[in-house]
Amino acid sequence: MDVTIAKVDEIIGRYGKTEESILAVLQDFQREFRYVPEEGMKRLAGVLDVPESRIYAMGTFYKALSLEPRGKHTVKVCMGTACHLKGANQILEAIERGFSVKRNHTTKDKNFTVESVNCVGACAMAPVIVVDEDYHGHARSSKVVDILKKYN
Amino acid sequence: MKKVKIVINGKTVEGVQDQSVLSLARENGMYIPSLCYNAEVQSSGGSCRVCLVEVHQGKSMRVVTSCNYPVREGIEVKTDTEFVRKIRKGVLELLLCRAPESSEIKELAARDGITEPRFFTDGPDVHLKNCIACSLCTQVCEDVVGVSAISMVNRGREKQPAAPYMKASNACIGCGACAYACPTGAIEMTDTPDARTIWGKTFEMQKCSVCSTPFIPKEQAEWIIKTTGKDRAFFEKCPTHR
Repeated sequence: MDVTIAKVDEIIGRYGKTEESILAVLQDFQREFRYVPEEGMKRLAGVLDVPESRIYAMGTFYKALSLEPRGKHTVKVCMGTACHLKGANQILEAIERGFSVKRNHTTKDKNFTVESVNCVGACAMAPVIVVDEDYHGHARSSKVVDILKKYN
Repeated sequence: MKKVKIVINGKTVEGVQDQSVLSLARENGMYIPSLCYNAEVQSSGGSCRVCLVEVHQGKSMRVVTSCNYPVREGIEVKTDTEFVRKIRKGVLELLLCRAPESSEIKELAARDGITEPRFFTDGPDVHLKNCIACSLCTQVCEDVVGVSAISMVNRGREKQPAAPYMKASNACIGCGACAYACPTGAIEMTDTPDARTIWGKTFEMQKCSVCSTPFIPKEQAEWIIKTTGKDRAFFEKCPTHR
């Protein structure tokens, strides 16, 4: 969804005008816009009369909030011990090359956000990648790009 | 203001209940190294871990940060035992890895016999090279200056002080208090005859009407006028010509 001042105001209006609402509003920004826009944080600071620096600190602290637009799909590449030994790095590099994207960033077409994560708890099928809710076990660096191309 | 007596390094000293062990030790001329503590900033301290001391109470002993440990009747403090030195050495070695070029940390580390840390010194990906992320600058900005122009952003290794959105801050008044307070001199501030640059923002300087020496950023003068009601004429002359 595009970021508009009207939408930003609507989200801010859902909560009380107190400092406790900051996190709730930021989470709603994330849900609606798939990121926390700078304009949103500025507006929120103005409405609540809280320093922008405090809101920015919160926005950068939480992993669940992203300051750049996230992709339609989230690709998690497991870097846990088992996956690491089975070549998770090559898989991550294959994705980075295949979609010209750096880890923990989003592809230009905003389709994928690629993340490295520490363990998804599926070590028996290492190496694992998780696309949204789908687990792809025994991943191979030669195949991952084809797997991801099915997601649009 | 309850007076209490405690023992520091075998010497009995008198202090006020709940003042910090560090401040009482310093009042009595005893040296405890510290970086992130600043007596003028209430919320400061507790993050650099350099001011560790042993606190004995009855049979128990704890190692605590003296900058925020309250003085209570009957405690005994030891500031320079082998155990304290050993722990502090480890702390300084890690700080040296984070800020290998900081002369302040190098000096402290050298006192404890560390010149080369054993660990990686490539440092995290932060914009301030000598920063140890102690938050003193952001506390000064919030509690003393009162503008909250900067805050600690990100977390973990990448935690660092920065202005919102990593851009020049609208709130910053260019007072430079953060740079003066920084224990490792990590914050860059450049003064030229006409302007001061800090946190990526350039400030026009107010010049003295007598000697035309620049002495305060105009935005800072405006801030002081706004918050304290001080007379505008006060900022026309530098402190020497007032």
